[in-house]
Amino acid sequence: MKVFILPPNSLILSDLVERAGHEPLVLMKKIGERVRDPEIDSPPLNITDKEPKEGLRYAAIEVPAGVRGRLGLIGPLIDEAEAAIILHDAPFSAGCVGCARTEDLLKYLIRAKFIPTIEVIYPHDEEAAKKMVKDIMDFLGSLDRSNGAD
Amino acid sequence: MKDTQTRVIVISPDSILTPEVLRNTIIKKYKVTVKETCFGVYIEGTDDKLKDIVDDVRELDKNGIFSKSRGFPIGDVRVCRSTRKGGPRPGFHQLDAEYKLLPRIRAGLDAMDRGEEIPQVSDKGKIDIKILSKIIEET
Repeated sequence: MKVFILPPNSLILSDLVERAGHEPLVLMKKIGERVRDPEIDSPPLNITDKEPKEGLRYAAIEVPAGVRGRLGLIGPLIDEAEAAIILHDAPFSAGCVGCARTEDLLKYLIRAKFIPTIEVIYPHDEEAAKKMVKDIMDFLGSLDRSNGAD
Repeated sequence: MKDTQTRVIVISPDSILTPEVLRNTIIKKYKVTVKETCFGVYIEGTDDKLKDIVDDVRELDKNGIFSKSRGFPIGDVRVCRSTRKGGPRPGFHQLDAEYKLLPRIRAGLDAMDRGEEIPQVSDKGKIDIKILSKIIEET
């Protein structure tokens, strides 16, 4: 199954999804497509005028272009997602979105899609980490592996 | 070029493995580009080959090796600290934050492998306003 993760560039979440035999939908793949595309002029400043327009599918025109640009990149991943993992209360340095409103909108888009979703809290001690790992692995184990990476 | 992917392999800080061992293990067996870093290695090749490598190196320390895709190719000048005149490279803070968490994640994976009963952690929630007021008055 294709599993969207939030933060969309998380090493830990991406790794756990792959361990469970599913395919993580991560931002790095989108970035990889763009930076290797010769048609884009000046990566890494590679947000072209297409992304805010693409973002209009996910947010209204009044929403700042920065949010729409981010959504133009991450939104299609949510469209593709068959399940999702959301990590809450992570320290400010964990997560690449860099915009609280975008994160709120992403959470909204995931919930509005009514796909199997698990919401976990960032672990600040070992016991909480054990619980988080178990909850995520149990959730991933309960998903159908038919469209997964393996 | 578009078929080429890059992956990051990160070694948990509590692992006995070193990036050098990891690099040597990979270059002995596979013809891919490998770059040794302070936290693990970057590898570059086709997607299938990279997955085989990750599965292979996991044998060295099953729950101590973590991996994810990377957007930029190895040695890309656009994200190189040298050409960008210093500063952390894009993605550093995320990797740094998660690197510190890896020993706890390993403990979780080890506990699952042992079939250990995971105690329910009570959600402490936010502090009650009365308790907060009392603390403020006392200090």
